[in-house]
Amino acid sequence: MTETMISAMLRETMPDAEVQVYGLGGTTDHLEVFVRSKAFVGVSPLDRHRMVEKALAPGRADGRIHALQIRTATPEDTHG
Amino acid sequence: MADLHDEIKREIADHTILVYGKGTKDAPRCGFTLETIQFFNSFGYPFEVIDVLENMPKRLALSELTDWQTLPKVFIDGQFYGDTDILGPMAQSGELAKLLETTFKDKGVTPTIQLR
Repeated sequence: MTETMISAMLRETMPDAEVQVYGLGGTTDHLEVFVRSKAFVGVSPLDRHRMVEKALAPGRADGRIHALQIRTATPEDTHG
Repeated sequence: MADLHDEIKREIADHTILVYGKGTKDAPRCGFTLETIQFFNSFGYPFEVIDVLENMPKRLALSELTDWQTLPKVFIDGQFYGDTDILGPMAQSGELAKLLETTFKDKGVTPTIQLR
């Protein structure tokens, strides 16, 4: 999946999401995503993860995403 | 399903650090399971890996219990901690070392130093 496609999926539930996608090992189905959104403010790491997985569930279901590593941050975080 | 939930609760109670993963400690069959094993090896506390790769009913029960769809799934002292995406930052901040130290101290377990 491309960064554009993943951004679009995440922005359906988190319209302000800033998304960066890194391929793991040069494949398109092993991905690391970094998501920055104010939707994460006050949300535990486990629930942030669940939010991202839920948003990307269609890609999981049809195999476009096989392995996914997730990092999250809020707009206030200086690093992520 | 109720039986599986009981089985899982028993396993979680029996092991201070428990990883449900794909493959075993000696033969992990997934990159993320391997990564999680290496992660806990570096802490030197005992941990158990339970292979659920081929056990779809149990994987389903686990996902239901945790609202977490992927493997590995890590439990520490009965609490669900997701995977290394969650534990990595906790390790970096020192929070995890503190949690493990307190948890194992209560049980009288000291870490073994890993030679590598």
